[in-house]
Amino acid sequence: MGGKVTCTLGEVKQRADFIIYWGGNPAECHPRHFTKYTLMQKSKFLPKGRKDRTMVLVDIRETKSVKASDIFLQVRPGKDFELITILRALVKEQHVTDAQIAETGITREVLDDLVARMKAAKFGCMFFGMGLSMTRGKHMNSAALLTLAAEMNAFTKFVAMPMRGHGNVTGADVIMRWQTGFPFGISFNRGYPRYNPGEFSTVDVLVRGDCDAAFIIGADPGGTMPQPAIDHLKRIPTIVLDPHITHTSKLARVHITTAAQGIAAPGTAYRMDEIPMPLKPALKSPYPSDEEVVRRINEAIAKKPFWIPEGSMPQMLTEQV
Amino acid sequence: MSDKRFILNSSRSSKQGTLINVGKDSDEYKQLTETMTMEAGDMEAIGLAEGQRALVKTEFGESEFTCQAGKIPQGMIFIPYGPPTCLLMGGDTGGTGMPTSKGWEVEVVPL
Repeated sequence: MGGKVTCTLGEVKQRADFIIYWGGNPAECHPRHFTKYTLMQKSKFLPKGRKDRTMVLVDIRETKSVKASDIFLQVRPGKDFELITILRALVKEQHVTDAQIAETGITREVLDDLVARMKAAKFGCMFFGMGLSMTRGKHMNSAALLTLAAEMNAFTKFVAMPMRGHGNVTGADVIMRWQTGFPFGISFNRGYPRYNPGEFSTVDVLVRGDCDAAFIIGADPGGTMPQPAIDHLKRIPTIVLDPHITHTSKLARVHITTAAQGIAAPGTAYRMDEIPMPLKPALKSPYPSDEEVVRRINEAIAKKPFWIPEGSMPQMLTEQV
Repeated sequence: MSDKRFILNSSRSSKQGTLINVGKDSDEYKQLTETMTMEAGDMEAIGLAEGQRALVKTEFGESEFTCQAGKIPQGMIFIPYGPPTCLLMGGDTGGTGMPTSKGWEVEVVPL
């Protein structure tokens, strides 16, 4: 099964009476999520606010978010996929052995209770974080959770949403999808977009040493990526656009300081539910915005002669093979 | 030296998010990203004291951290993302485009 059964945070705020956070720590990483959307808000359909909502937290350890939860399930590390698959089976009343359940670190009673609560909910929402998507299983874990959400719709309304972070990462995905049909890991080197995670994704391209220059806008791969990727960024001409000096700035040949989006530069940012939000600057900045710098670089490149020597055959393919 | 292996999870914290605005060069940020949290029993088992430095080794690299006890499951280590954890990560994404940043098996050597 493919796709994502989802909704907006406004719908969560108004209607969601059953919330599951899986592999995330919103109390620390999304500190306003509870108060603005998922737990504390009162609405027409949930007039008592927090008392009308049930929150379940699934994680491998007791984080600060446990205090905000009604039910905490401490799953054994690396067993998220197994637990989701068991839940999918239990929801459909299929047979699951005690040994299979014991492997996840959760008891059958707790899972039966969870399934009953999920089916009894009027509007359930599952939020999943990097504890699910960056551990063993990676995208298969996310796909399993999205499938569980889709299958729950045979019983009641259920949706799922990733807990996106870092300002406007959702915006990057949404715009790439709109422009190319793919969210990330895209190569334009044949003149048309091709998608292949593992081949064209940033970490892989850097680790293999496939690129001979890097242009980084509002990100700090020097502080987050694997060392082999960082080592390649040091070898090639790297240009960074960022309001702050970052680890990547230090290894880059050029750092251009830009105005902070939403504080000193206008623009649009996409919320984690993919709703575009206009950004109005509150302060003035002596620095240009990212958009202005990219536009000026584009203008400068447009003035240069085409890179293929006159008379030679262009390498761009006119038809997809 | 102990042969006991631990599962390392790199994670984020609200303090780390706040310190990004102070500067990733600040002493506080460096201190935070060089601090690992372990279960008290695990620390005792390998002879690590609170505040002691330890070398964490993976098959890809090694890095030094200051150890502190915390309420986490036995056999696990938590460290905020940062340049020291980058040194421990391998470049293979398994065809997904996403490097593994949680659930590595590591060796901890008290210094």
